[in-house]
Amino acid sequence: MRVYLQLTVLALLPVLCSACFYQAERKTAFGRLPYGVKQALYGLVFGLVAVCNTEFGVPIDGAVVNVRDAAPLCAGLLFGAPAGILAGFIGGVERYFAVFWGAGAYTQLACSIATVLAGLFGSILRKFVFENKKPTWYYGLAVGLIMETLHMLMIFFTNVSDVRTAFGYVQTCTVPMLVSNSLSVMCALLIVSALGKEKHQKPREKRNISQTFQRWLLACILVAFCATGIFTYAMQTKVSESETDSLLSLNLEDVRQDISDASDENLLSITREVAALLEREPNADNARLAEIAEDMDVAEINVIDENGVIVKGTNPSFWNYDMASGEQSREFLTLLDGAREYVQSYQPTSSDASVWRKYAGVALSGGGFVQVGYDAAHFQEDIDRQVVGATRNRHVGESGSLIICNEDQIIVSDRGGGEGLSLSEIGLQADAMSVPEGVRFSAEVHGTPSYCMYVTGEGYRIIAVLPQSEAVFTRDMSVYILVFMEVLIFAALFLLIYVLIKRLIVDNIRKINRSLAKITGGNLNEVVDVRSNAEFASLSDDINSTVTTLKRYIAEASARIDRELEYAKVIQYAALPQVFPPYPDRTELDIYASMDAAKEVGGDFYDFFLLGEDRLAFLIADVSGKGIPAAMFMMTSKTLIKGLAEAGHTPDEILTLANAELYKNNDAGMFVTAWLGILNLKTGALEYANAGHNPPLVRRNGRFDFLKGKGGFVLAGLENTQYKKNTLDLQPGDGIFLYTDGVTEAEDKAEHLYGSERLKALLQANSDDLARVLCEKVRADVDAFAGGAPQFDDITTLYLRFLKRKEDGHAGTNTGCNDRKY
Amino acid sequence: MTIRKQEENARRTLTLTGRLDTVTAPQLEAEIFDNAENITELVLDFRDLEYISSAGLRVLLAAQKRFAQTGGVTILDPNETVMEVFEMTGFADILTIERKAG
Repeated sequence: MRVYLQLTVLALLPVLCSACFYQAERKTAFGRLPYGVKQALYGLVFGLVAVCNTEFGVPIDGAVVNVRDAAPLCAGLLFGAPAGILAGFIGGVERYFAVFWGAGAYTQLACSIATVLAGLFGSILRKFVFENKKPTWYYGLAVGLIMETLHMLMIFFTNVSDVRTAFGYVQTCTVPMLVSNSLSVMCALLIVSALGKEKHQKPREKRNISQTFQRWLLACILVAFCATGIFTYAMQTKVSESETDSLLSLNLEDVRQDISDASDENLLSITREVAALLEREPNADNARLAEIAEDMDVAEINVIDENGVIVKGTNPSFWNYDMASGEQSREFLTLLDGAREYVQSYQPTSSDASVWRKYAGVALSGGGFVQVGYDAAHFQEDIDRQVVGATRNRHVGESGSLIICNEDQIIVSDRGGGEGLSLSEIGLQADAMSVPEGVRFSAEVHGTPSYCMYVTGEGYRIIAVLPQSEAVFTRDMSVYILVFMEVLIFAALFLLIYVLIKRLIVDNIRKINRSLAKITGGNLNEVVDVRSNAEFASLSDDINSTVTTLKRYIAEASARIDRELEYAKVIQYAALPQVFPPYPDRTELDIYASMDAAKEVGGDFYDFFLLGEDRLAFLIADVSGKGIPAAMFMMTSKTLIKGLAEAGHTPDEILTLANAELYKNNDAGMFVTAWLGILNLKTGALEYANAGHNPPLVRRNGRFDFLKGKGGFVLAGLENTQYKKNTLDLQPGDGIFLYTDGVTEAEDKAEHLYGSERLKALLQANSDDLARVLCEKVRADVDAFAGGAPQFDDITTLYLRFLKRKEDGHAGTNTGCNDRKY
Repeated sequence: MTIRKQEENARRTLTLTGRLDTVTAPQLEAEIFDNAENITELVLDFRDLEYISSAGLRVLLAAQKRFAQTGGVTILDPNETVMEVFEMTGFADILTIERKAG
């Protein structure tokens, strides 16, 4: 429990550091430190976290588990390459020297290198794969897993001369270190993304190409991975089984040979003694033989003549037995053909198969031979010590052993200390051993699951025991290394596919997209030129030829549109009074107006017309927006107002009615500002109404002043706007100047506005000029002010001079000198 | 022109800097109307707005129509130039305009 707690704390350290640094960077003065200083600090702190892991690693089964690699990984992935490399370097170097104060020397090199690599790995991934963005959490998990897999392989590679110990470390560390390191990196990424609520990777509605490839690759590799894993496991199991079998049987055969050599030698030496006695006492009778047998502690002695017949012996039932008549006894006839000595293994006798006996024979000089037989109980006492000697120090493989028991199933020799016990007491149950000789079986010997095999010989049962862990060591190691290598290979392929697709496809597509964006943005002269492979070259050509065709069509279309806009402009101008002087025979007034559209067709307009003989209506207006829609709205407004004026309405009524009408058919949300006046030429009384338009300048007593006063809301803006009527009395010599915001809001190159005061001053300075002259001067002054800056808005002016009151009865027919100038 | 956007419950506040004219009006239009299903109140901070043209007024009119039934459109601190335009065109009467005292 404590172990897991400690491991959790170690795993949380990098997470905590990541969170703190991330917040500090964004929320405090720390973020404003120079880049280098910050990187050094990150590297130092994460390096110290790695050191903490070295010093406070968790011991499990003799190995020390830690979360050292997570710190440099986090530093590299989250905070930058220098930080990652520095942290890895600090952690790695400290680990290398930590052996002097207690860290494990066995994995010294592997752990140091792995920590440095972790820093490098994180940094490289951040720079080249994640493009300096913080990766999503599952990448953290994968990166942690891959790094620890590499770490485990490093333990193998740095200890190739002692793979068994290395494998022991790897077996113990793999799961806890893989899990803790990868979870640690994953949590660090999760917490940082939760804090930042950033979208680290652009959320894509559709998967990109490399993701699709990687998914398929993952699926294929998983299948291949499982298949090779299962195949390797099965094959290696077979190999290890057959290796175990041959190891066990070889050992058994050796020991059986040793034992049978020992017992052969033992019986032969007894038989030689008996033969020597008989040479001295050729006439020893049966009683003497029995005496000798007693002395020698053997079961029987038989003397056989040159014809192979037992002539005398300790067992009367064998007398006159022809040795040639039994299979077992016939073998001894070799002694009559010149062999000096012969010994048989312990086996059933020819005369009685239930009796097991070991026989040896020695030829006698006078012809024939003597045969001595004895029971296991006898010879085993003699050779037990030799048997123990032959097996006690013998190893099966690295840690297996041999166990020998006698016919009573009592253990004679066992390195594990089972001497004197029965087989079942050390775990070798009779039913487990019911298999035939030389066949492997499993049993738990002295508490260790083991593979066993037995043979019998000379009345002994010899059992070879090999712990299963040792038997399957090669298989397990192969599978571990295979899995590790596959993880790395997959990671490498994953990266390779990513890089290849990025270089071959994604980068090219981006290049093409950039060009296309320029083309869409209006630059039809952009040429797509991606020629790194045939497909893209052909795509580039296709796009270029499409653009060329498009260019031609656009040129044709734009020429047509230009012509049509030109017509529109002509029509629009035609709708405005263009002939000056408009009323050459009217001496009461001097009027001039002009409109210069910023584009071909604009939204400004002016109008004036006589209502009967005595009244002149005049107006100026500005439709919001420009172009054809504004022009069409302008035509509607103009027609409407003129119609209402001619129907005899007062200015306020005209605007109120026009507003209601315009509002109805105004889906585009346009509006019009307008100033409308009706001047009584007889009296000089001016009635006017203003719908949100710029205040006109009125000349009275030689002075121009703005006709201030609250106007109404713009036309067509709201449904029920009511306009007020205002009145003003003009005296002969007075005038009124109307304009649109194109005048006052004209800009120079520094974006200064022309302004109403400048306009007023200009009018004042030229207050005696004719209407046309003044209008032209305003226009020229605005142009001079703009100084070549583009004209954004329509510029419209209208100047009405009230020259004299109209007299009753006759219209003025003489053309004044003023008018003559037109 | 730059527009800074803040949202608080059903109130959307846009802070405008620069010039609101034919070129930039569509940008403001998008900021006002995009994803505005749950917005009932619109506040436009005009403290740093230098200039407004009729295209800008058109957007304000559309916004006023859209939010009239709920919280309406509030204009904060328009400068003299902009205020003159509002007064001249009558927009001062239909919009809620809040100017800093003094």
